[in-house]
Amino acid sequence: MSRQYLAWGSADNAHTVDIFSLAVTDKQILSASGAPSLKVHSTTETDFPLVQSIDGAHTLGCHHVVTDFKGARAVTAGFAGELKVWSCEDGYWAADQIATANLANVKVWAIALSGDGQYLAGVSQDGRVGVWDLSADGTQIRDHETKGSFGTCIDLSPDGRFIASGHENGAVYIFNTETGRMPFSLSGIVKPVRAVAFSPGSKILAVAGDSKVIVLYDTSSGEQIANLSGHSAWVLSLSWSSTGEYLLSSSFDGKVKVWSIDSKSCVATHSETEKAVWSVKWLPKNAKSEAFATAGANRSVAFYREATGG
Amino acid sequence: MALSYRAATASSAEVTEEASVRAYIDNTLCALFHELSLPPAVGRPSVTLRRRTNATSYRINSVTGALEAVGPEAPYRTYSWPGSSASEAWRFTVIIRILAVIDEAMRTGQMISKRDIYYIDPACFRSQSVVDGVVDDLAYTIGVERAAFNVEAAGKGLITGSFILRQESQVVLDARSSSQDNLIPRLQDEDEIDIFGTRWILVVEKEAVFHRLVRNNYHTTALAGKGIIVTVSLIVINHLENVVNKNQGKGYPDLNTRALVHRLVIISSAENPRRPLPIYALVDGDPDGIAIMSTYKYGSVAHFHENARFVVPGLQYLGLRISDAAMNPHMLTNANLLTLTARDRRKVASMLHNSPILGVDGPELEWRVELQRMLMLNMKAEIEILYEQDGGLEGWIDRKMFRQV
Repeated sequence: MSRQYLAWGSADNAHTVDIFSLAVTDKQILSASGAPSLKVHSTTETDFPLVQSIDGAHTLGCHHVVTDFKGARAVTAGFAGELKVWSCEDGYWAADQIATANLANVKVWAIALSGDGQYLAGVSQDGRVGVWDLSADGTQIRDHETKGSFGTCIDLSPDGRFIASGHENGAVYIFNTETGRMPFSLSGIVKPVRAVAFSPGSKILAVAGDSKVIVLYDTSSGEQIANLSGHSAWVLSLSWSSTGEYLLSSSFDGKVKVWSIDSKSCVATHSETEKAVWSVKWLPKNAKSEAFATAGANRSVAFYREATGG
Repeated sequence: MALSYRAATASSAEVTEEASVRAYIDNTLCALFHELSLPPAVGRPSVTLRRRTNATSYRINSVTGALEAVGPEAPYRTYSWPGSSASEAWRFTVIIRILAVIDEAMRTGQMISKRDIYYIDPACFRSQSVVDGVVDDLAYTIGVERAAFNVEAAGKGLITGSFILRQESQVVLDARSSSQDNLIPRLQDEDEIDIFGTRWILVVEKEAVFHRLVRNNYHTTALAGKGIIVTVSLIVINHLENVVNKNQGKGYPDLNTRALVHRLVIISSAENPRRPLPIYALVDGDPDGIAIMSTYKYGSVAHFHENARFVVPGLQYLGLRISDAAMNPHMLTNANLLTLTARDRRKVASMLHNSPILGVDGPELEWRVELQRMLMLNMKAEIEILYEQDGGLEGWIDRKMFRQV
C-alpha cells in the first residue's frame, strides 16, 4: 500500500550553500548550512516565511542543529569544532553565552539534545561518547570510550534511557543512561553508519548509512527486527513520525522515502532532486495531517504533507 | 617509497611537529619583540640556529627507516641584530623573513617551495642556496622534517599536446611529441608560442594520471578535439633531501608552470576573444586537490606581489568531487573512497578559516561546499578511482568536458 505526500511549499534558496541539518519546534524549523548564518522559518504559515536569520553563528559553517521538545533551547555544532547554545523566547532565538562558554572545551562532531533540553549528548571524531548537563554548568556526566572509530551520528531515546552512537566503521553502540553501561554493541554493518534514530516509544532503533539498507533493532534485546531495502545510495538521515508508524529517510542521490513500520515496506518515494538530501525531519503533528521537511545540496527547505483525501 | 609508511603514522606525529614549529616561531618572535622593546643599548634581538653538519656518511635509522647523517653534534650559531658585521645583520634578516613566510604558509595551510620563497625577494635572499640552507637549518633546529612547515621541494612542470615554443626562431620545445617528458622552461616575454587550434587545456594534479592520459594519446583523441595537458612532476633533485616527505606526489605548481598556463590563456583569448579556450583542473577530491587548483587559479601565499601575473581566472573545476565517485552510474565500484586523516580535517578547517577565496562571500562557493562535504562524509577520493569505471578516465573526462562547456 502506498501513501501520498503532496508538495506543500518550500523555502527556496534558504541558504547559499548545502543545508546540512534541520531541527524542528512546534512552530518553527531551524536550518544549518555551510554558510555562517542559521535560518529560522515559520511552519505555521504555508508560505513558510523566514522569521529570523541568526547571522554569523558559525563562520566556517554549521553541520548539526538540534532542539529540545519545547523549542526553548537549541545547540549547534560548527565546522571549526565549536558548539553554541541558543535559547528561544516568544519565537525569537538568542545566543546563550553562559551555556556556550560552559561547552567551550567540548570537542564533539554529532550531537543530540534531550527532550527537556537539559542533557546534551555528543560523539567525537575519535569515537568518544559523552553527556553534558546544561543545567549544571555544562558538567560532563558520562564519558564512554568506544573503539576509536569516527562518531558520525548520535541519538537520545525519547524516554531518556538510552544513547545510541553510529560510527564510520559500521559500529553502533547503545548505552544505558542510568547505569552508564553498554548493554549492546550492534553488529552486522561494516560500512559507515550515517544516521541513528530512536522511535518515539524508544522501543526501536533505526540505523542506516553507506550500506544503503535501514536496519531496525529492538532496543530491549538488541535483535534485528527488519531490514528496509530500497535506497540505491548512501542513507544520510532518518526521522520517525510522531506516532512511530512511519520512518522517513533520505539519501545521497536525492531520494526521500517514507517507510511503514507495520508492513516494513516503502510507502512513498520522492525524487525531486538528484542532489544529496542531507537532512529530513517530520514536523510535530498538527490536527490535520502529518508533514515533513527535507533539505540538502539543492539549498532549499522543501515541505510535504500527507494527502488526506479531503 | 616510504610515502605510505609516513601517511599511516602521520596523525599523532604531525600534531607534535606542527606544535613544535609553532612554538619555535612564537618563542622566537616573542623574544624578538621583548628585545626590541628594551632600550637600544640593552636590547639585543637575536635568533639561534643549529647548523647541519657536513656529514660525509649516512645511515638508515632502524626505527624510522629514514636516511640520517652520522657525525658529531651540530654546533649552534646565534645571529643578532645589528650584530658584529653587515653579513651577520643580513643573515639575521634572511632568517626572520623566511620564518615569517613559513608562519604564513602554516596559518593558511598552503604549500610553498623553497623556490617560491626565493622569488619573494631575490634581492634580499641573493641566491636559492641561501634560502635552501636556512630552511633546512630551521627544520634541523626545530627537529622536524621540512614538510612540517609546509615547504616542499620545487616541482617541475610537464606539458604534452598541440604546443610549440620558439626562442629566437628556434624550436626549443615541441610538446606534440609524447614519447618523452617535455619540461616546462622559464618563459621569456619574447618567446613565440604556437598552439595550433587547441580546443582545451587540462591541468592535472598527478603526474601518474598525466602519463596515463599521454600514453593513451588523450591530447589528440579527446571527444572535445585536440588539447594540451599540463602537470607538475615532483622529482626530488637533491639527494640530501632523500628523507621521508609526506608531500611527495602532490602537484603544487611552481612559478614556471603557472606562468606558462597563464600565457596559454592569454594567447588563446588574443586569437579568439569571443570563445576563449576552456581550461579545466582535474585534481584529487581532497583538501590538497582544492588547494592546488586554487594555486593555479589565484596564486599562492608565497607570491602575493606576483600572483596577478600568473592567475588563470577562467579555470574550471572538472573534478574530482566526492559525488563523482559515489554517484556515477558508470562506476563499477565505489570501494576506493578513502577516510580523511586528522591532517586532512585540520587542513580543511584552516583553508576555510584563512582563505578569502573560500569565504561565503568569496568567488568559489562550490569549492567551499565540496570541502564541507568531505568533512560531513569524512571521505576523500583520488583521481585513480576513475580508471576503473566504464569508459575509463578518458570517457569520464569526455563526458565532463561536454557537460561543462
